[in-house]
Amino acid sequence: MAGADSPSAALRRRDLCTRGIRLVGKMRSDVIDLLDTYVERQGLDASASVAAVEGVPPAAVERWDEQTGTQRLLENLAAYRAFRVLLAQMLEEQREQLGEADAALGRALASVLLQVSAFAYHLEELLQLESRSPPSEEGDGPPPQPHLSLFEQKLRGLGVLRELAQWAVRSARDLRQLAKPSPGTGSAPGLAESP
Amino acid sequence: PKNLKCTTHNLHKMICTWDVSSRRRHGQTDICYTTNDLPPPVCFKTKEKRVEIPVPESSSTVTITTNSMSGTAFATKEFEIHKKDVLFVPVTPRILSLTPDFATSTINLKWSDNGSVFPYGLDAFWQIQILRKETMEKVTEVSYYSKLTHEDVILSWNWTSDMPLECTSHYVKIRCYINVTQFVGLKDWSDWSPVEVIPGKDADPSGSGVFPLDTVVAVGSNVTFCCVHEEDQNVTNMSYGSKPYPMIQLSRRSYAIRVLNASASDTSGTNVVCRLKNEMMDGTVLFVGYAPDIPQNLSCETPNFLTIKCTWKPGRPSGLYGKRRTKYNLFERKSGKNVSCEVNEINREPVCGFPVLAHQKTYDFILGVSNPIGQTESSSLLVDITQRVHPKMPEKLTISGNNSTSIHLSWFINGSFAEIRLLCQIEISSGDSEQKLHNVSMPGGKFSSYAAQLNALHPYTKYQFRVRCSAADHFWRWSDWSRVEEHTTS
Repeated sequence: MAGADSPSAALRRRDLCTRGIRLVGKMRSDVIDLLDTYVERQGLDASASVAAVEGVPPAAVERWDEQTGTQRLLENLAAYRAFRVLLAQMLEEQREQLGEADAALGRALASVLLQVSAFAYHLEELLQLESRSPPSEEGDGPPPQPHLSLFEQKLRGLGVLRELAQWAVRSARDLRQLAKPSPGTGSAPGLAESP
Repeated sequence: PKNLKCTTHNLHKMICTWDVSSRRRHGQTDICYTTNDLPPPVCFKTKEKRVEIPVPESSSTVTITTNSMSGTAFATKEFEIHKKDVLFVPVTPRILSLTPDFATSTINLKWSDNGSVFPYGLDAFWQIQILRKETMEKVTEVSYYSKLTHEDVILSWNWTSDMPLECTSHYVKIRCYINVTQFVGLKDWSDWSPVEVIPGKDADPSGSGVFPLDTVVAVGSNVTFCCVHEEDQNVTNMSYGSKPYPMIQLSRRSYAIRVLNASASDTSGTNVVCRLKNEMMDGTVLFVGYAPDIPQNLSCETPNFLTIKCTWKPGRPSGLYGKRRTKYNLFERKSGKNVSCEVNEINREPVCGFPVLAHQKTYDFILGVSNPIGQTESSSLLVDITQRVHPKMPEKLTISGNNSTSIHLSWFINGSFAEIRLLCQIEISSGDSEQKLHNVSMPGGKFSSYAAQLNALHPYTKYQFRVRCSAADHFWRWSDWSRVEEHTTS
């Protein structure tokens, strides 16, 4: 079992966690705005029920309390890598379908994609802090999408953004959990230990 | 034997049938016939109550004797058949192929006219029936006309459905009537051909979906959408945009809505949503826009004798975007060269570049334009590019003064103007005095600098200079002014 952190590593992790929480908070508010714009521009019904998006681990997790810090980071990283692929695909589809017609939606999508990429990089930094190299990306992420009709593309986009908004909430909770000092020692526990 | 009836399919042979009144069991039947009273009679036996004999020129006598099982004659009857009593019914046509084109909801029907059986030049009338739904309701009946050529010709006919072919099965059958003018007998329509079917998705056990799928129509179109659901599902409602529509049942698993006079859709198209039970949903997207207008005011010029820039007025926006946007291509007739233009559908000032071709001064342009709804082209434009020079803005304007009343200006113009003379205009302004324009012309160069000398300036005076250029011999348009350069005479 890894021992407690050195003070500098703990400080570094808390700093990364704090910045991560801010980043994911900003991302979430942008995703919520984007969701409203997306629903309106795609002519969708905001209450439409959408199937789970293939390739993205669900934000909801059972026994969240029992997860180790490393598990939290690995699950977060897998999710945001998947979102990076899906959002890039949405952006490509949006350009193909609408061209320049809806530049605002395109910019908003690109902005969220950028933030997702930044947050994924952030998570990799946190993992590296524990001399834990992030898993390689091969074979990871959503499977290649079968050809979807336009309506299916619209619904999948809605599903991706909804799931991303959920993940942003969970990530903030995970990072707060990681940032907590362990009781008594005043220093943050090694990732492997922190529940 | 009674009720002898004779029918011919080919005007040469006829099939005669008759009834037999008694209920006793029969053995073979003896047939004898003579045609146009020419002996001897032709006789033979048959077990059937039909016989094929030649069509007479005028009349035939047919004697029919029915026998018992043991061969003793029951009854004999002689019939006189006149040509005018013979019924001509064409052979039942057979559909050779029935091919769907789902993209255009069009059915192509091919059949043979069996013309080789008939003399040249006869008029043939065909009736084609289209039926739909599980109840085989008649959708339409169409007449088609052709002329027989004494050869078997394969005829082809297209029909476009008012709904996607996926929505439900479409059935087709055909019959014909041949106007045999020289045949004195009776004439009638053939029987209907066997029905051929284009199965809809609702005939496919795993078929489902909303159709048409992601299609483009013109504003004002009437469009039928259908929702085909899987076995264990059912449709609760269907909506176009945000508006629910009354549903028409096509079959057990297929429901349709009809949208009339569709208006222009948003950029991302109008959603057609089919809501199923358990909050499941399926849908499609319809793009409603305009066919392209004929481009107006096509105008072409060259900034540098390397490319030709054409501009035009595109007319009404099509309302279609992305890969469905209106696309332009510039075709030059003399060289046969065709260039597709990069035009962004939002930009209402489109421009298209065409390369200046070696040894070609005049160009005959036509601007083609198309989108999924239609296509058109501009009228042609014949230009001599030496008469359509619109140079770029002069750059690197530099001023050197060699004495108190004259200066030397030089500037650079990006382009290859060796084929023409340039006319440049220097604007001189200083303080409160009036602006002066000084024109100077010089041979054009290839990506070169140009220079001019200005004299009669006032000493110790601060001046602002700028320059613009155009073609000297065939003025077309001035370039933009260069940046202003200041100089104070010493």
